[in-house]
Amino acid sequence: MIFQTLVLKLLQEFNGERTVSAVYHLLRGKRSGQTIQDVGIFRLHDFFGLLPKLNRKIFDDQINLLKDHQYINILPDNRYKLTVSGLSRLKNTVKLSFDGWHYRGNEHIFFARLSLIVQTLSHQRKGDMKFIPIQQNEVVQHWVKNFLKSNQFDNGQFQETLLEEIVSSLEQLTNDDREKTIVVKRLGGMKQPGFTWQQISLHENLTEMDVQLLYIACLHSWIDEITSIEGKYPLLSKIAHQVRIELPLTDSANQTAQLFKKGYSIDEISIIRKLKTSTIEDHIVELAMNDRNFPYQNFLNEKDVQNVLNAIENYQTKQLKILREVVPNLSYFQLRLVLARGD
Amino acid sequence: MQLEEILYKHFGHRSFRPGQKEVIERLVDGKDVIALLPTGMGKSLCYQLPGYLFNAPVLIVSPLLSLMQDQVTQMKLLGEKRVIALNSFLNQQQKQYALNYLHQYRFIFISPEMLLQQQVKERLKQLKLSLIVVDEAHCISQWGFDFRPDYLRIGELFDYENRSPILALSATATNKVLGDIKSYLKMNNPFQYIHSVDRPNLHLSKRLFQHHEDKVEWIINHVLETEGPGIIYTQSRTKAESISNLLLNVGISVASYHAGKETLDRQFIQQQFLEGTIKWIVATNAFGMGVHKDNVRQIIHHTIPSNIANYMQEIGRAGRDGNDALAILLYAEGDEHFAKMLATDDLPSEHHVHLYENYRLRNENPHNMFQNEEISETAFRVLDYWMNQETSAFVLQRLNKMRIDKMQDVNEMMKFVQTEDCMRKVLVQYFGQPLESRPNNCCEVCGIQYDQIINQRQIEEIPIENNSWKKRIESILIGN
Ligand SMILES: Nc1ncnc2c1ncn2[C@@H]1O[C@H](COP(=O)(O)OP(=O)(O)OP(=O)(O)O)[C@@H](O)[C@H]1O
Ligand SMILES: [Mg+2]
Ligand SMILES: [Zn+2]
Repeated sequence: MIFQTLVLKLLQEFNGERTVSAVYHLLRGKRSGQTIQDVGIFRLHDFFGLLPKLNRKIFDDQINLLKDHQYINILPDNRYKLTVSGLSRLKNTVKLSFDGWHYRGNEHIFFARLSLIVQTLSHQRKGDMKFIPIQQNEVVQHWVKNFLKSNQFDNGQFQETLLEEIVSSLEQLTNDDREKTIVVKRLGGMKQPGFTWQQISLHENLTEMDVQLLYIACLHSWIDEITSIEGKYPLLSKIAHQVRIELPLTDSANQTAQLFKKGYSIDEISIIRKLKTSTIEDHIVELAMNDRNFPYQNFLNEKDVQNVLNAIENYQTKQLKILREVVPNLSYFQLRLVLARGD
Repeated sequence: MQLEEILYKHFGHRSFRPGQKEVIERLVDGKDVIALLPTGMGKSLCYQLPGYLFNAPVLIVSPLLSLMQDQVTQMKLLGEKRVIALNSFLNQQQKQYALNYLHQYRFIFISPEMLLQQQVKERLKQLKLSLIVVDEAHCISQWGFDFRPDYLRIGELFDYENRSPILALSATATNKVLGDIKSYLKMNNPFQYIHSVDRPNLHLSKRLFQHHEDKVEWIINHVLETEGPGIIYTQSRTKAESISNLLLNVGISVASYHAGKETLDRQFIQQQFLEGTIKWIVATNAFGMGVHKDNVRQIIHHTIPSNIANYMQEIGRAGRDGNDALAILLYAEGDEHFAKMLATDDLPSEHHVHLYENYRLRNENPHNMFQNEEISETAFRVLDYWMNQETSAFVLQRLNKMRIDKMQDVNEMMKFVQTEDCMRKVLVQYFGQPLESRPNNCCEVCGIQYDQIINQRQIEEIPIENNSWKKRIESILIGN
């Protein structure tokens, strides 16, 4: 049900101005110009890349289900429209604390490290260090080994310290206990294996997908809490090191951003980087979405911005084509910049 | 040092099991060896122990990533640090590092695909190995022709003067397969240790049904009445999911296991299964090699495997502690059609051969067939291999023959299902061996009584965790 609500809600957010596939690409965190722009235009940062491995069939099945329930109507060209019952289905649903834009699946790295650390500590406490590591990824194993060594994990107090950090940080979260329980059930130790998605789904009477969404929501708020104040959770914040993406740009956009900040113009950057100006414009839009101090005045004056915002309001649309007709003196690039501001 | 001393020192075993010592002694003499030992007999030891006799690395070619990972983990559990798996999990940097320090490892596990990479080949050429092992060597002939052609090339690599001895290990090789192993590995008049494939403590049952659906109902009743631990094999992920959900609903502690499960889930399932909190596993053939639970009491086949070797491997998961175990094969009319479809599904077709030719004519890289989604990855690998070996007319013939062989394999399986002779005898004879003796409760045909082999189900509550998250994390980290 959570997944269903999520998909329906995103369809609503896109306001029928995209095809159903836009939701799929958003959830998978597709790193294409279109999807990234959509994130800015429709303010969908929280949902970007929530499910990097989402299977197309599972998504399509959900769309069909929404159709069968008559929450949406499918229009030609893979477009759609929410029905009245679709809209009322969206009323009073729980809000989940996603922050996809800043994690994009990286929360799983945090959890992989944590779960191997917890397993190791559990065995260490019980004096039996012969065990099969639950994380098989060598990079994670290596990371954990270094972490444990450099933090003197065998000083006799390490378990207590980590426990204290885990409990107090989780207690800070407003997420309900059910979410925290799911996360902790995915941890295991000596003679206490973790639970599979199938098992948790039975315990909670939810589908596996829904359980996983709750889990992701909880991890996002948890890591937010862990990294919010420096020094508050010394161990956990090390484990969350570089998991949160602070300036989430694609590599290429990042190179453009460096040049832009040095004062080069779009045309100059395009020559230097041997890329089309339209590509450079995509990068600038991406930068604008991510950088709170983006110098809009380089490209637009306040009056233009106001005109666009009025047009959005009056015509209830974020479709560039329509906006262009209403504010013909601005280029598509300028319009996209205004939308990127998201206000 | 005596071999027995080394056995005890490094592995904690007091004596060798049949075959192990013979095999190791021949290897020490520098001879090539083929060892056919039944599932669970201890084939790994035949290359693990020599690792402590010689002063150079042992190279082990292993077919499955998961199996390889598991073998490495098992070695590390035994306290061996100088062990590495070279496979596609490594990134370029890790691989380079591993290659540079390759000579320092005692055991090097590697996949055939990796073995044939130029970079790896060159490095191996410089390296002095003490022993070359091909584990699950029947894969050469079971997979080499129609699934992973790189298997056929392993031999090319070690075809030089003064190479170290080759050890080929398998539990399920027919005489034809033995022949393939010898010739493709270019083995040098190898010593063969052939143990009977029969596992007398596995009792063989079969059940015939009118309708496909009846089988699931039977499984549910059977699992409700008898005691595990057990594995139920079925053909697809969806089936594994649905059967396990039905069992969960009647209160059985069960998990599904297939290639679509994420790795952490697999670990949890294996741990819980080992520990006994999960009693049953509903699996596709992804669950098998590398499962080290020795007290599995039942194997149920919801669908027939596509060949006898697979059946042997799968029932071979049971009774590894030497105690009695029961294998039940379910069959409903028409199952063989499905099995044949599944078995031949991924072979390249005639159409693919023509496509490939067209690409060549256009001077376009045939690899694009796969990129253009005109063919699956496996089918392309196979097609590409053979198209570079012989003319398309031959390839067409060959593919046709593969298809017929695969159907024939299913027919062999059907003979086993339908036999009115002793099932054990049919099985053993398939591998070209005589049946030496029949245990009590030998098989369905000879007569079998389940209650003399397995126990009634002890109904126990599945302990559900009602602990709060705080309690749980506390008890994991600091106990109590
Ligand atoms: N000499 C021995 N004495 C006691 N136990 C042994 C001996 N040799 C091997 N074992 C044990 O037998 C078990 C099975 O060994 P192994 O995994 O090597 O079997 P295998 O023949 O490779 O089986 P499979 O065909 O399933 O791969 C292991 O737990 C191993 O420790
Ligand atoms: Mg083995
Ligand atoms: Zn018999």
